[in-house]
Amino acid sequence: MPTCYTTRGWGSFNLDAIEAHGECFMADVDLRRLPLPVRESLWTELIRKEDWWAVWISLLLISIGIAKFASGGSLQWIAIAPQKWSNPAELIAQLQPQGLRYFAVCLLWAVLFGTGAAALGIKFSKFLPAFIALFCASAAIYCLGLWVQAAHYNLEPPLVALGLGLLVSNTVGVPRWLEPGLRVEFYIKTGIVLLGASLPLTLLAWAGPIAIVQAAIVSVVTFAAIYFSAVRLGLDRRFAATLGTGGAVCGVSGAIAIGGAVGAKRQDVSVAISLVVLWAVVMIFALPLVCRGLGLSTGVAGAWIGTSEFADAAGLAAAQAYGGYAGHVAGIAGRSEDAVAAFTLMKVIGRDVWIGVWAFVLSLIATRFWDRTGVHSRASRGDIWRRFPKFVLGFLLASAILTLLSRGYSYGDYKKELVPALIAPLQVLRTWAFTFAFLSIGLTTRVREFRSVGARPFYAFAVGVAVNLALGFVLSTQVFADFWTRVGQ
Amino acid sequence: MSEADPRACRTCRHFDQRAAVIESSLPGLHALSSAYGSVRAGDGLCSLRERYAADSSVCDLHAEAWSQL
Repeated sequence: MPTCYTTRGWGSFNLDAIEAHGECFMADVDLRRLPLPVRESLWTELIRKEDWWAVWISLLLISIGIAKFASGGSLQWIAIAPQKWSNPAELIAQLQPQGLRYFAVCLLWAVLFGTGAAALGIKFSKFLPAFIALFCASAAIYCLGLWVQAAHYNLEPPLVALGLGLLVSNTVGVPRWLEPGLRVEFYIKTGIVLLGASLPLTLLAWAGPIAIVQAAIVSVVTFAAIYFSAVRLGLDRRFAATLGTGGAVCGVSGAIAIGGAVGAKRQDVSVAISLVVLWAVVMIFALPLVCRGLGLSTGVAGAWIGTSEFADAAGLAAAQAYGGYAGHVAGIAGRSEDAVAAFTLMKVIGRDVWIGVWAFVLSLIATRFWDRTGVHSRASRGDIWRRFPKFVLGFLLASAILTLLSRGYSYGDYKKELVPALIAPLQVLRTWAFTFAFLSIGLTTRVREFRSVGARPFYAFAVGVAVNLALGFVLSTQVFADFWTRVGQ
Repeated sequence: MSEADPRACRTCRHFDQRAAVIESSLPGLHALSSAYGSVRAGDGLCSLRERYAADSSVCDLHAEAWSQL
């Protein structure tokens, strides 16, 4: 074991020499006088965290949209999206005259995401070519999803994006130059904030409490199922808690938040991540299929997906895919938007926002009751805010802004004026952001990483999946079915 | 303890909080989440104990080293 423990290298001492000799030379310098690395301040976090960049980018787009709307204009020109087509000639005829607009929307996203990525430490020069390639592939998938026969062949854009990405990453592989552009969370958070612009605050106030109650029941029961199964199977309690929150609260983000809060082994956090990704990807395909088989309305299906999917990006892929069936598949009631709205209420408002509380409570329990590891967690109420997913604030703010803006409009005027000129272009931009995310999920998921998870963690997590699915189904389709069916009304 | 607690893991050279390093050390992390997000707060990897811990955590070895200064 090394005998030297010191700060990271401030000062004049030679850390390499220290390491090489295996001796401690701390006496050579007065370390007490060296500046200690401190936590990032709130102001630094505003430009160093992806959540805040998702908020800045989305609010900028919303502000520009409102300014254009106020002056009689719209973001329609740059918010270009393919339209329905039935044969390749029709598609080419549709795309050809719009080349400049597609170039402009690509440039817009490249500059916005590239600036954010650069602030996070990803070089713009490396991000740009990767993003352009991602945009081109996303545009092709977007077009495919608008083929009139797409729903008939289950070619929903989220599922196609994910399937194609998985195929490429697990066969020929993803070239290294493409990796800087595959920022799933950055794209999905930006899309969620933009989604806030189309969900009125009144809906959040009406549906939020039910979403919180349903999500709380499922989260606590699922966590308990995974945690106690894991402990019974002989796994370490910190590992069990990391697995439990990964399955019960917010997927991979939950696993890393709790893994850090309780001081789990690196390998255990890695296994928890792999299990969440494995099940989340399976659920992206399975949940829309099962919902379709059961003929669930889009609102009810969105609530179930929000309760039982493990990650925001994965759940939005499933919810958007199911929403795409509305109006195309017989027997599926509700609007396309309802699935995404119900999912977002359940997952973002009902589950994600509580991760800081879970981290605080589990950190306290780990410190007081679990075996000592030599690394002592120190629970702090301030961590509830530090770990709070800040993009949710942007989502709520976007909803509040658009709700205030639409106050003076009758429903007819809102549909006639505000929706086409302001809401619809933001929805198009949101769809682009989601498509980048869905394709990135597939391109960053490596099946070979699932092989090392081990049987016991797999069984423990599988118990949680079964409990979560069953309970989420009963609550969404029986207990609160009327509520979720009416979510779009 | 204050934010500038000298014994906290964040002051240890074995503790790495860099998002890019965390993403490369935890395969699959960036497929459905990110090390650049708020939920990670200041968590990092301890190469000495092979643990993933909060930056405010205190390690016995690191605390002992500081107490001897």
